[in-house]
Amino acid sequence: MQDYREFIDEVLVDEKNIEKRVAELGAQISRAYAGQELLIVCLLRGGLTFTADLTRHLTISHTLDCMSLSSYGVGQYASSGNVRVNLDLMTNIEGLNVLLVEDIVDSGRTLAHVLQMLKTREPKSLKVCVLLDKKYRREVPVEVDYVGFDVPDRYVFGYGIDIDEHYRHLRFIASADMQKYRKTL
Amino acid sequence: MQDYIDFLAEILIDEQTIQNRIKELAKEINRDYTDKDLLLICILRGGIVFMVDLMRHITVPLQLDFMAVSSYGAGVRQSGGSVRLSLDLKTDIRGKDVLLVEDIVDSGNTIAYVLEFLQTRQPRSLKVCTLLDKEERRETPVTIHYRGFRIPNKFVFGYGLDLDEHYRNLPFVAVVDLKKYRPTT
Repeated sequence: MQDYREFIDEVLVDEKNIEKRVAELGAQISRAYAGQELLIVCLLRGGLTFTADLTRHLTISHTLDCMSLSSYGVGQYASSGNVRVNLDLMTNIEGLNVLLVEDIVDSGRTLAHVLQMLKTREPKSLKVCVLLDKKYRREVPVEVDYVGFDVPDRYVFGYGIDIDEHYRHLRFIASADMQKYRKTL
Repeated sequence: MQDYIDFLAEILIDEQTIQNRIKELAKEINRDYTDKDLLLICILRGGIVFMVDLMRHITVPLQLDFMAVSSYGAGVRQSGGSVRLSLDLKTDIRGKDVLLVEDIVDSGNTIAYVLEFLQTRQPRSLKVCTLLDKEERRETPVTIHYRGFRIPNKFVFGYGLDLDEHYRNLPFVAVVDLKKYRPTT
């Protein structure tokens, strides 16, 4: 694996700022759902680090479930927007307050599709919390209820977000200079 | 949801002790996996919190993947019997150095099955890292290479481990007083 220092463009959000913002979001969500039961749905795999840290700041009663999705078609940009469910929820969400937790919203296609799909199961409420919002890339309107940070339209990695499955463990979020990046197999 | 204070028998391992031990485990892993091709496999959902914290202290190149397993028939508390794979790995593990990350090894039945199953795919190495080891409950022998803590045969929760899907977000591992605990439905 290539050392990330060889292709890092800049650190967009450092560890301290991530921690601070995640704590704020946790407090905000705890207030919004006070007295209600909440189901946190983590979208694998990128949303995992964020979910683990976010839930530690929740002071309200909640449960956790995971979904794993992939796009039909070749590559993430060549898809119809249809989403394949690799791992579905264990929980029946009918009548529940559901909060979808995602690492990043980009075109919004996947998220819009998942929201549509989950709505058919008639949850009591369905909201979205994303760590990073790449607003400039939006192709489909999606309402995002909780946003960690707005990020520019650059290739980002770290804090759960990978490049070819690597670098998820880094504690900060950085942008990559993809001309300097060499893919390792 | 009932406040955990109402049924908390004792805090078995506090936050600081967990975090210190995770750093030590990561140090051992960093030493042992230098110049290897490390793939961490997290078994959902209990292992999430532990894995997220552990990977942040790992400095050798690593990849991450997930598996979800469920038992046929039997509930979580009586683990045993056959295991159903509800989410398989995305990664082909042939030739990789695989480290299975678990929150707790109890009877050992599930993990023994998963290990046997993964071995058929011929990884270069296959080891186990568990935060908690309830050795007294072992029914199937399992070799544990990295162990956080040996714990007595008590009903524990927190730090990824749930009680009827709740309390996973607590930063410590605690023992339940089952006479005082009322399950939420």
